Formats: sequence, structure tokens, C-alpha cells
Amino acid sequence: MSDILNVALPKGRLGDKVYALFERAGYGCPELLEPGRKLIFESAENGVRYFFVKPSDVAIYVERGAADVGVAGKDILLEYTPQVYELLDFGIGKCKMCVCGRPDFRDDPARTLRVATKFTKIARDYYAGLGRQIDMIHLNGSIELAPILGLSDVIVDIVETGATLRENGLAVLSQVCDISARLIANRVSSKFKYEAVTQLTRRLSQVTEVK
Amino acid sequence: MSDARFSSALDGIFTKLREIYTSRGYTRYRVGRFEEYDLYAKNRSFITGSSILTFTDTDGRLMALKPDVTLSVIKNTAPSRGLRKVYYCESVYRAADPSSGFSEIQQAGLECIGSLTLFDVCEVIELAAGSLAALSERYMLDLSHLGLLDGFLEDNGVPAHIRPELLRLAEEKNSHEAMALAEKNGVPLYVMDAFNTMIHLRAPLEEAVRRLSSLPLGERAAEALSELARVAVALRGVEGIYLDLSLRCDGRYYNGIVMRGYIPDVPSPVLSGGRYDGLTKRLHRDAGAMGFAVYLNLLDRLVPEPDGTDTDILILHNGSDPEGLLRAVRALTAEGKRVRTDTAAPEGFRFGKLLHYEGGELRE
Repeated sequence: MSDILNVALPKGRLGDKVYALFERAGYGCPELLEPGRKLIFESAENGVRYFFVKPSDVAIYVERGAADVGVAGKDILLEYTPQVYELLDFGIGKCKMCVCGRPDFRDDPARTLRVATKFTKIARDYYAGLGRQIDMIHLNGSIELAPILGLSDVIVDIVETGATLRENGLAVLSQVCDISARLIANRVSSKFKYEAVTQLTRRLSQVTEVK
Repeated sequence: MSDARFSSALDGIFTKLREIYTSRGYTRYRVGRFEEYDLYAKNRSFITGSSILTFTDTDGRLMALKPDVTLSVIKNTAPSRGLRKVYYCESVYRAADPSSGFSEIQQAGLECIGSLTLFDVCEVIELAAGSLAALSERYMLDLSHLGLLDGFLEDNGVPAHIRPELLRLAEEKNSHEAMALAEKNGVPLYVMDAFNTMIHLRAPLEEAVRRLSSLPLGERAAEALSELARVAVALRGVEGIYLDLSLRCDGRYYNGIVMRGYIPDVPSPVLSGGRYDGLTKRLHRDAGAMGFAVYLNLLDRLVPEPDGTDTDILILHNGSDPEGLLRAVRALTAEGKRVRTDTAAPEGFRFGKLLHYEGGELRE
């Protein structure tokens, strides 16, 4: 096991923001900013190796030890419940997991509620907590269409600004949980690279808004 | 890696483990592949998150391919004088999660059942450390005591309805959400500061015990810490034993000291176990128990590739002189070479040297 820390970052805007935090914390990697098609970027000087993966895959890379640490959205952690440590809330990439539907929708407890979502575990757990029986409809995208076309009564989805909902005549009906980017770590790497992971967490917490 | 090489490597590992276990008087326990499903149905959550493979026997009984060994050992342990000390190396069958299919998992381990003394607890921990040392020089064995965090939260007046969630967050070392939950429920800051110290503390056992003793633990947690302190003294000199209170196990079965073992390059625990008096009580046995399992199936990454070839020598021939070719092959295998013969080089086959058999001779 090499001493360098393997870091899985999510591709896209969130990954760029998070990398900026790593850089401020002293884990910069100049190679990463150079244009090109490289997939792995290493700074031996700072003891880190970065790679960018699909946001929903970060937790898998970390859980299976291909990455020692990574940054994943709370939505992914709640949905897939990977066996990882959750060490820090970065307080960025903030949004909410919400139940949404037509603004005039009234839930009739006598009927099974039809719920369309990409996040079936989160939705199931939420309604189980309320003791509400639901008919789960798993969709992979364009979730907002479901209540508009009568496929479902409500949807459970991530809401950032609410603009897409408003443009489609939908509204937030209730909030399930807050979502933001989290620092996660492989449970075994955290032991064999204890000093490195602990120091990384401490330095990142110093440059992060939420501690 | 070929199954044969993995299997042979596993045999080697099990031989080492067997020597360790028999050196302390543990005897081999063999179980059949099947068990009545009822045993697992009543204790389903003991086999964490696993599906069970069932079938109907010829007499109509619902049977299961064993997903676990511990339950069978306890079920078949009659009350007797002294302790029952057994080790095993068996296959179990389960699907780790609904998305993966069923698989055969090889497990080795041991169980110590009866009126356990602190010596027995220490010996099981020492044997667990010895098992890990047989797998890797750089092993780590984490211990925890279920009474410590539970007792600390209870004795410090943390509301009962948030304790299970705090314990779940402890397992993730998730201080930020634990703090938010505690604040919402009026838990004093000094309690949460101590809680966070406890869930992030990871240090060699004796040092960890010393550091914990300065915290406002409460009576139950202090009692648990005192047990750990005695274990730490008894195991002084055994390398690689740490305390990590984020380690949790199902409290319906486990009580007291629990443990997980790790080796480098395997991303999940290769050893798991602990004190499980709760399970023996559920199975109506008036006895204490402690044991652990080593997950041999996780070790395939540790078996090195030999030299990247499937054989040392590939001999190509036209099949016209079987007697002479056999003589040539026997001579080479007698020298310890691995030899494969064929009429054409097999696709994707890796060999060290290519020879041609023609006119009763081998030529390059």
C-alpha cells in the first residue's frame, strides 16, 4: 500500500470547487490544471493523486479501496449507503431532497401514494418513517414529467433553486433532507494511512465553511 | 488467477491458522452444508444483510445452504463442563447484497463457548491477532467495547430516542451530523465533545485506554473501560491491537468486546468477531461465547502471480510419433518443467519457451 493518498473527485462544477478547497488546504496538483486528456494527476510533493469520476461512482471507488478518500454528495451516500467514513461536510453543492408535485396536490391517505424518483431508497425510507404506503416508480431522468403527465402523484428529487419546478408548474411539498458535498474515506485506508487521512481532514476543515 | 492456485494458497493459509488454533487446544469442528432454515429465520439479522439460499428437502422441510457457521456451532453445543473450544474452515453460501448473486465464501475461524473468564477473552483476541499475522506482517486488529459508547450516552442523559442514530453516526465517524442532532435535542456541548473524541480516537489499546480515562464516562462506560484496561495489560506485547470505538455490532447478539481485523490491500475487514452472549441466550444456551471468522475469499488479491506464464515449455508437434513425444515430455517434467503439447499454439496461451517436435527430436 503506497503512502500517497488517492483522491476520487466528482467530475464537473462540484469537482472544480472541491479541488480549489484541496488546493487551499495545501494539496495542490499543478498538473491537474494543464489542458489534456490525462485521467490521473499526481503531486508527489503533496502526497496526493487525483482522479475525476462520475459523481455517483465516487462512493464505489472509495468503498472498494481504489480511492482512499473522495468527495460525494449526501444524496449518493443516503441512496447507496456505502460502508465508508463520512469525515466532513464541505457545505458546498448545497441543495435539498424534496417531495414535489402540483401546488394544489392534496395527499389522500385512503389511497396508495404514487411516487416517482431516481432515489428509491431515500424515498422508501422517508415514507416508511411516515408510515405511508407508496407505489414506487423508478425513473432515470426527467422526473418532473411524472406528475405533469399523471404517471405519479409526487416526485422525490433534488431541488437546488426550484427554477425547473416553477417553470413546469410544480412546487416543493415537503423537505426530506439537506444535501451537500461530504468528504468520505475508505475504512481500511483510514487505518493504514491514519496520519495522512487525519491531517487531510483537519486541513480541509480549516478551509471549509461548515465544520 | 486460476482457481487451483488460489485454492492451493488458501490451503497454505488454513494450515497456518490450524497450527495456531490447535496450539491452544482448539479442536476441528466440521459442519454439513445444510441446516434447517428455521434456525436462520429466527436470527436473521445476525447474518448481516445477507440473503439465504433455501430449498425443500425430500421430507418437505425447508432447508438452507449454510450462510454462517457460528449459529450451527452454538445449536449443536450441548451444555457440558468446561469450555467448548472449536475451530473450523468451511464454505458458507450467501448473497452479500440483493444486487449480487449468491456465492460460496470460504471462512475459517473459531468459537469459544461456556463460562468465559477474562483469560478466555484475551486468548481469543490473541488468536485473532495471530490469525492476522499469518496473513500479513502489517495487520491491524481493532477492538471496541459495546458497553462504552452505549453506557456513556445513557449515563450522560442523552435522550433515548436519539441514541441509536448517534451510534449509527459514530460508525461513520460522522461528527458534523452527530453535533447537529445533539444540538437540536439539547445535549450539552461537553457531552458531544467527549463523544467526538471517542469516535475519532484510534490508538494502540493501552494508550487509548489511558486517553479515555480522562473523559466524563459515567458508571457503565467506566466499567467497560476497566475491562479493556485489563485486556490491554494482559495483551501487552501483542502487536497491532488498536481501540476504535466507531466499530459497532448488532447489540441484540453481541455484547462486550468486539473486533475487526485488517490487512493492507484488502479494502474491507478480513476478520470479524467478538463476544456474543446475546446470541447464545437467544438460542437458549446458558453460556457465554466469543469467536471470530476470517474471510478467506477476500484474500485472493494477496496471492502473487507466478511469472506471467501458463507453462514453461510449449511443444508443437504433428501427432505422428506419440511414443517419442511422450518420452520427451516425461524427460522435461522430470526436470521440474511445466510442459504443454499441442498441434498449434493455443490462442492467448502464455509460455516461456516454444519447441517443435519433429523427426524424434525437440528443436527450437
